[in-house]
Amino acid sequence: MSGSAIWRTLSQSKLYWGLIAIFVFGAAFSPATSSGRNIFLSYGNLTDVLRQVSITGLVAVGMTMVILIGGIDLSVGSIMGLGSVFAGLLLTQGGWTSASTTGIPIAALVGAALVFVTLRFVIKQTSAPAPLAKWAPAAAGLLAAAALIVWTTRQVDPKFGVLATLLVASSVGLTLGLLNGLVIVLGRLQPFIVTLAAMVSVQGLARLTAGQDSAVLPIYPGSNSTASIDAVRSMIYGVLPAPSLFFIAAVILSWILLRFSVFGRYVYAIGGNEEAARLSGIPVDRVKIATFAISGFLAGLAGVLYAAQYRQGKPDAGSGLELDAIAAVVIGGTSLMGGRGGVVGSLIGVLIFGCLSDILQLHNIDSNLQLVLKGLIIVGTVLLQERNLPGYGQMLAFVQQPFRTRETKGGRIAPVETAKVEVPNEAS
Amino acid sequence: MDEFASQAPSRGVLAALGISKSFGAARVLFDVTLSLAAGQVLALMGENGAGKSTLMKIISGVQTDYEGRLEIDGEPVRFHDVRQAQAAGVAIIHQELNLVSQMTVADNVFLGRESLIGGIFVDRKWANAECRRLLDRLGISLDPQTKVGALRMGEQQLVEIAKALAIEARVLIMDEPTSALSPSECQTLFKVIRQLADSGVAIVYISHRIDEVMALANAVMVLRDGRHVLTAPIGELSRERIIGAMIGRDVVKHERALSYKSRPVVLSVRDLSLLDRERQGVRKAIDTVSFDVHAGEVFGIGGLLGSGRTEILEWIFGAARGERGGRMAIEGEEVWIGSPIEACEAGLAFLTEDRKAKGLVLHASIGENIALPSLQRLSRFGFVRRAEQARAVDRGIAGVGVRCQGPEQAVGALSGGNQQKVVLAKWLETGPRALLLDEPTRGIDIGAKQEIYELLFKLAERGMAIVVVSSELPELIYLSDRILVMCEGRPMGVLPRGIASEEAVMRLATPASSVAYTAHASAA
Repeated sequence: MSGSAIWRTLSQSKLYWGLIAIFVFGAAFSPATSSGRNIFLSYGNLTDVLRQVSITGLVAVGMTMVILIGGIDLSVGSIMGLGSVFAGLLLTQGGWTSASTTGIPIAALVGAALVFVTLRFVIKQTSAPAPLAKWAPAAAGLLAAAALIVWTTRQVDPKFGVLATLLVASSVGLTLGLLNGLVIVLGRLQPFIVTLAAMVSVQGLARLTAGQDSAVLPIYPGSNSTASIDAVRSMIYGVLPAPSLFFIAAVILSWILLRFSVFGRYVYAIGGNEEAARLSGIPVDRVKIATFAISGFLAGLAGVLYAAQYRQGKPDAGSGLELDAIAAVVIGGTSLMGGRGGVVGSLIGVLIFGCLSDILQLHNIDSNLQLVLKGLIIVGTVLLQERNLPGYGQMLAFVQQPFRTRETKGGRIAPVETAKVEVPNEAS
Repeated sequence: MDEFASQAPSRGVLAALGISKSFGAARVLFDVTLSLAAGQVLALMGENGAGKSTLMKIISGVQTDYEGRLEIDGEPVRFHDVRQAQAAGVAIIHQELNLVSQMTVADNVFLGRESLIGGIFVDRKWANAECRRLLDRLGISLDPQTKVGALRMGEQQLVEIAKALAIEARVLIMDEPTSALSPSECQTLFKVIRQLADSGVAIVYISHRIDEVMALANAVMVLRDGRHVLTAPIGELSRERIIGAMIGRDVVKHERALSYKSRPVVLSVRDLSLLDRERQGVRKAIDTVSFDVHAGEVFGIGGLLGSGRTEILEWIFGAARGERGGRMAIEGEEVWIGSPIEACEAGLAFLTEDRKAKGLVLHASIGENIALPSLQRLSRFGFVRRAEQARAVDRGIAGVGVRCQGPEQAVGALSGGNQQKVVLAKWLETGPRALLLDEPTRGIDIGAKQEIYELLFKLAERGMAIVVVSSELPELIYLSDRILVMCEGRPMGVLPRGIASEEAVMRLATPASSVAYTAHASAA
């Protein structure tokens, strides 16, 4: 392999090299335990990194899709906070609270809509007989709604279990994302403005839901709440922390969706050229709304994971989360202009972040300094991302430049150097 | 024309002898020889990449590294930069004009050659008077003190010419000067060019527009793939011969049988109207337009810019902005199409005017672009069937003859002609019943143009109904079986093939009240 080929390969896989470099750095300079074991490389530390990044990661997956269509979602932090408040209330307070009275109908509606849409889509693909195609989705949707209402209502008086909590919080997130999308599409507004507004009002909504004098809703599994919530916090079979399972599942599912599905292709096409996509008969509006709904859904889900992890529901739990997610997506190589990038990049972006803060913490770096370093890393990585490393030839030329003499140019019309001229014989 | 042709080229001003040029390993000019006499207008033609620009860059001193010899007035010269070429009387006007729009006409004309008072202050008075004199010489009634930014494209082009005169150019090279001009602006420009030639300036005129060249030049030189293929006086040439020389194969005049009349109507529209308050004020963008398009027919829509041509296509495709009125039917069945989604489902395809902004996802691959509108059909349970898609893409690429490295190549890397073929392939893959084309060959090589024409005729023969909007009258007349001419949103009449001529179309397309563009005050 020639020098330039090696350089090209390096340049193309620079994303992975960034992660590997940070990883190697972390391992090399890691403090050791008293028994001489490398702390950074210890299984406990690595799974801890995974656990730490899962919440941001989940949100970053939704953010990736939104950014791919050329949008942005600033409301995810607030939605995550609202999700954690919902989890805090549902898990610790029995009876009809602000969370259960709003959450149950929303969950029923979302469930019904999802069943309806999915079934109708499947039936369309299989060309089922007409009456079945017409009524089955609606019937199944109603049935699902009824079942959900019964199932969740029976958990109101005791306290909500973990499954019902996950369902309600993510449904609320999905609904808010859907609203974002609807306002953006129907109002023809900039996603930035709409989701900025949503960020503010959902924050207020979270505080209202939490109640006047409760900035934090503590959750004590087994004492003030059901113990089942620890299921999304514990290690699964002692191998992986549960939150990372959600994250990894989200990455894999969205990777499949983006890469192989029609929806994914539409996402890239819209981000690449929305007008061309629209004029190609693509349901641009629906796809856009769907990406915002997915983003809201994942943020709501992240809220429950936060509540389980930090044992509290907090209205402003997610402040700044949206920026972390955007940074991870951009570090992962997804273009803010849309149409380019993907969820694998975001995974790596999130991991780079996670490893970095882990290393800084292991070295007991001052947390304010950590912020400074984090910012520098963002700029540095994005510089490399956006610009493409200079080509191998360019690098060589740059290095050799000082050693080369400049050619001089004459200021007047120079006489012809007759020796060099070849006059063709058959000149007409 | 006659007094023009009789003025025989007197003496050689410029000769380029045996010019060859390579960029790295790629040779772009092979031993090309050109000679130019005072007062001659030489049209230099050829497809993109034929070497026209390189040759002109060598002559005007932009490109200094070449083999061969340049002679001015029989004296060998070698330019080392543009200034030297200018000093020797060779000026070039690039396609993208080099004017500072915040400065006045006079300031632009003498930019870099200002006359100074006391070595510090620009002598505005002298500049304005001198500029006035130059403009008068060209018969242009522009005020030297107007800001260039306030001028129209055509007027800016004239300022560039004045700039060339200011350096007393004896050889003026013009690179596609009319590509951004309106027909009346073109006429003014031609008048000025003729006047220049009469005064002894030798002109090299680069253009893709054959009709323009036939009217203006007294000789044509054609390059193909860096080689000289043809130089002949205009009197010995025909349109077909020039195209043939440019693309390297014979062009047959396409004889279309008028068979569409017996075939069924595919698309019919009645009383279309479009009221767009945002864009048009109170005037309707389209007003009571009705027509039928048969299977196998190429139906042209002509008119000036803003006459409602594009809006008709957008109306039909459900992409128009504003209040829509009227009815339409596809194969006899009345439909109301509210969005491009419904239009695609109804079997319509719309090739937009601006393929880069509205037709293609430029950084995506050829394959992805072709498959885009057909993904529903190429998928199962929402997942794309890769093999099926690959087949469709290969079929599309072969069907329209896209020249590319493969379906994975990015569309943005293709030439304009090949990009347009990708757009066509993408729509043909949806199996449309009617094809709506807005400026299908804008900015495309003449060879690719010809291929697209032939493709359209082939599609029509297979029963496709085709609606074409084009600003290029020769193209519109060549393609269309009938031409609907629009003026200010209203239909002015339908001209069938044989009766439609450029004059007939322009007569209908020009608003009765409008005054012809008059930048030329002198009666010359």
